[in-house]
Amino acid sequence: MEVALNSGMPNLRIQYFRGPVWGKTNDQLRKQIIEGNNPITGKPVMQEIIGHLTRPLTADEKKTGELNPGRGPAAFTGTPDELQQLFLDKRMTDFLPITLPTEDKVEEMLKATSHEPDEILGKMNPGSEAGDVWTYTVRDAAVNAVMAGAKPEYFPVILALGSTGTTPVNVSDNGFMAGAVINGAIREEIGLNSDIGAVGPYAHANTVIGRAWSLLAINGGNCGKVGTTYMGTVGNPVNLTNIIMAENEENSPFQPLSVRRGFKKGENIVTLFMGWGILSAKNWKANVWGSTMNYPQIIKDIYAQQDAMFGTIAVLSPPIADFVKDAGYDTVETFTEFVTDAGAAKPKPKIGGFGMRGGNFTVVVTGGSNNNYFMMGGMVPTVSVKIDDWR
Amino acid sequence: MKLRTAIISVLCLGLACSAGILGTQAYGQGKGAVEMPEITVLSPMGTPPPITLKAQAPRLDTLDGKTLYLVNTGFVGTERLMEVMTEWFAANHPKTTIVNKRNPSMDVPNKALWDEIHEKADAVILGLGH
Repeated sequence: MEVALNSGMPNLRIQYFRGPVWGKTNDQLRKQIIEGNNPITGKPVMQEIIGHLTRPLTADEKKTGELNPGRGPAAFTGTPDELQQLFLDKRMTDFLPITLPTEDKVEEMLKATSHEPDEILGKMNPGSEAGDVWTYTVRDAAVNAVMAGAKPEYFPVILALGSTGTTPVNVSDNGFMAGAVINGAIREEIGLNSDIGAVGPYAHANTVIGRAWSLLAINGGNCGKVGTTYMGTVGNPVNLTNIIMAENEENSPFQPLSVRRGFKKGENIVTLFMGWGILSAKNWKANVWGSTMNYPQIIKDIYAQQDAMFGTIAVLSPPIADFVKDAGYDTVETFTEFVTDAGAAKPKPKIGGFGMRGGNFTVVVTGGSNNNYFMMGGMVPTVSVKIDDWR
Repeated sequence: MKLRTAIISVLCLGLACSAGILGTQAYGQGKGAVEMPEITVLSPMGTPPPITLKAQAPRLDTLDGKTLYLVNTGFVGTERLMEVMTEWFAANHPKTTIVNKRNPSMDVPNKALWDEIHEKADAVILGLGH
């Protein structure tokens, strides 16, 4: 529907049937789709398709001209309770209570950047071709940052994320998620957690920055509307606050991710990720606990089990990173060569029309040193942005 | 009756003690609280682009004697769906000519194919699969 609307045909005749198509035998396709009924109207699918092709066009279907939906009212007035309800009713929230974005609070947020409030910060859509590209300003980002509960000192990071136009709330029925890794002194400056619980939700800066990014996507990029711009078949709970990681540079034996991506050490950089998510490496049988542990081989074995679409991310706690270094891998690059069998044949780059990133392997070091635990999953770095450009 | 009252009193006392031990603090103002004043907040919305409306293609009066292209855009499973759909047309609309084609990309229309469709097809069913 969103694609039809944005292609200029809001009344395009759409045929619904009991999906999905793929993975089914000819017999299943015949019974469930071709000889089946539209689950909404209850009428035979093929009868409706013939109707779509032969029924004369209505006046609405012949319409030309311009449709300008606009951004709606610039402000809303009411009691705090009424406004909380209004934001819910208009689906301008993530369903959690918000900090109401009064002009004073938004002005305070805007003081944290030298950029003009009316500057176009970015353009975003829900991903793929679903939905047209919306535009949002620095002020729009400030409003959403206030709603998320952000402190003004977080705002440059939120702007850096917003400037990429990358949605963390993707339309895909796969249920994609997003993450970001932050390097540089800003980690300490704004209180990002890079120690125990680093990827968990219980650190104000990490969680609120991630929430602000998702709220900006909902309101600035028309994302997260279940059934139209959010089609995750079973969804992804990470979409609420994303995974905002600060690398534990102080306890890592390796160069920070930002340096490995070409930036100077100490620069404040945020690197965006997209993928499926991460979970404890104990999830894989390759990670069997014993009296001595060969973590490089365990990571390699888990890597071998990963899907090619987003490649692999290893989020190593400092003790695991130390194990890797002690095994003779002085840099992430040499470790990556071992893990990915550099020079070996890579997975085929295309499956079902999607571009695959087979062979991609990323290491991030974060978390505490209270145990030999780590996480792995499917996430690929997309773009890195200088945070200080948004001060 | 007196015994029941005594038990209820003890329970109430217990609850009161628990509240004290837990350090419970009332945040709400309860009855008689002053009604909240109205405030004004800013909209968080971005700006959607204007949409140029397009008139849809005129419809056919019948499929009999017409040429219908079934285009598979390449998502896994679509080819099979089009195969079954072709069988259905053969059985139910034998006077319609069905032409099966494959667009090389899921996202980008192939110019040569669309030129051919403009020239030869009376209607198209585009199979997105999924």
